[in-house]
Amino acid sequence: MKTLAVVVTTPPYSPLTVTALSYVETALTAGINVIGVFFYQDGAMHANENISIASDEYQAIAQWQRLQQQYQLPLHICITAAEKRGIACDSVDNEQINEAFTVSGLGELVELTTKAIRLVQF
Amino acid sequence: MISSDTTTESGLSQGNGLAIINSKAPFSSDFGKDALDVALLFGSFEQKVSLFFQGDGVYQLIANQDGTLVSIKDYLKTFSAFEFYDIEDIYVCQQSLVNRQLDETFHIENVNVLASVEFGLALNRHQHVLRF
Amino acid sequence: MSTLHLVRKSAFTTNDFAQCLSVLDQQDAIVLMDDGCYNLKHPLMDSLIKRANSTVSINVIANHAQARAVETLAAVNKIQMNDVVELTFNHQKVITWQ
Repeated sequence: MKTLAVVVTTPPYSPLTVTALSYVETALTAGINVIGVFFYQDGAMHANENISIASDEYQAIAQWQRLQQQYQLPLHICITAAEKRGIACDSVDNEQINEAFTVSGLGELVELTTKAIRLVQF
Repeated sequence: MISSDTTTESGLSQGNGLAIINSKAPFSSDFGKDALDVALLFGSFEQKVSLFFQGDGVYQLIANQDGTLVSIKDYLKTFSAFEFYDIEDIYVCQQSLVNRQLDETFHIENVNVLASVEFGLALNRHQHVLRF
Repeated sequence: MSTLHLVRKSAFTTNDFAQCLSVLDQQDAIVLMDDGCYNLKHPLMDSLIKRANSTVSINVIANHAQARAVETLAAVNKIQMNDVVELTFNHQKVITWQ
């Protein structure tokens, strides 16, 4: 079974994130079992509900949301990285976190790397 | 062409754990601290993790530094806890030291200084690699 | 074990590509993507290609090179993202140089 875990370290407004999304979507379409995407460092910015990108530009957050819905792709935000970047993660029903993302910790990264046969970092 | 053998592989149990490559100097970005957080977390979960230092990353190991002089929490001091977390395999790229005119005076023990070929071979023994 | 190397930065700006080359093994593959495409014109690429008996597979994501108006080279394979996914599983691990 081809299992893949992905780490994303770039924010939603970075062109580098487009490449990560393209890779993940291509893998999903090819039938690869992408067991989860872990958003670390600036990647944690993806959880930020307050991010507003000009409508004629690439909407990375919406794209991740689409993949999450279509493939049940788990999207994990590192809580420490998120809080450092001003995303409050303290309450359960949190309006500051985009609902497609799950607030997790580095422990989730351990889980993903023990289960996946490949780990790819963006 | 080497074909992938997927029937019995399962993440970190195949190959020799996680390798983290440190490529950045310690006090001008969060990369060193972010890498350390991953390393210690994996160690605390009893997962095999090895540390590699290459390029400007070798600066993280040099002795007599003091981040507090520039108001930075000196996370380098936490390196002395590696053994406690069973992080035993620490590799430094010799060429990176030579290029920077650094001698092998490190602030931790048990650092393996390797020439490029051996550095690559050590890296190759690991299942997953993250680079910061 | 062979490795797939994803090179995303220009060697004209950072040392990432040089560091990648220093750990490269004979059965490895390189994929130039994002600004890594600019490395097609870098002296390091030239010496990599000219290495006698080199069996390293060198690839570039065609769209990424074309977007940047970077000419590709005969010795470099033009690939798509689905090839990158395939390479991921043809090699035993992936290192991203960024």
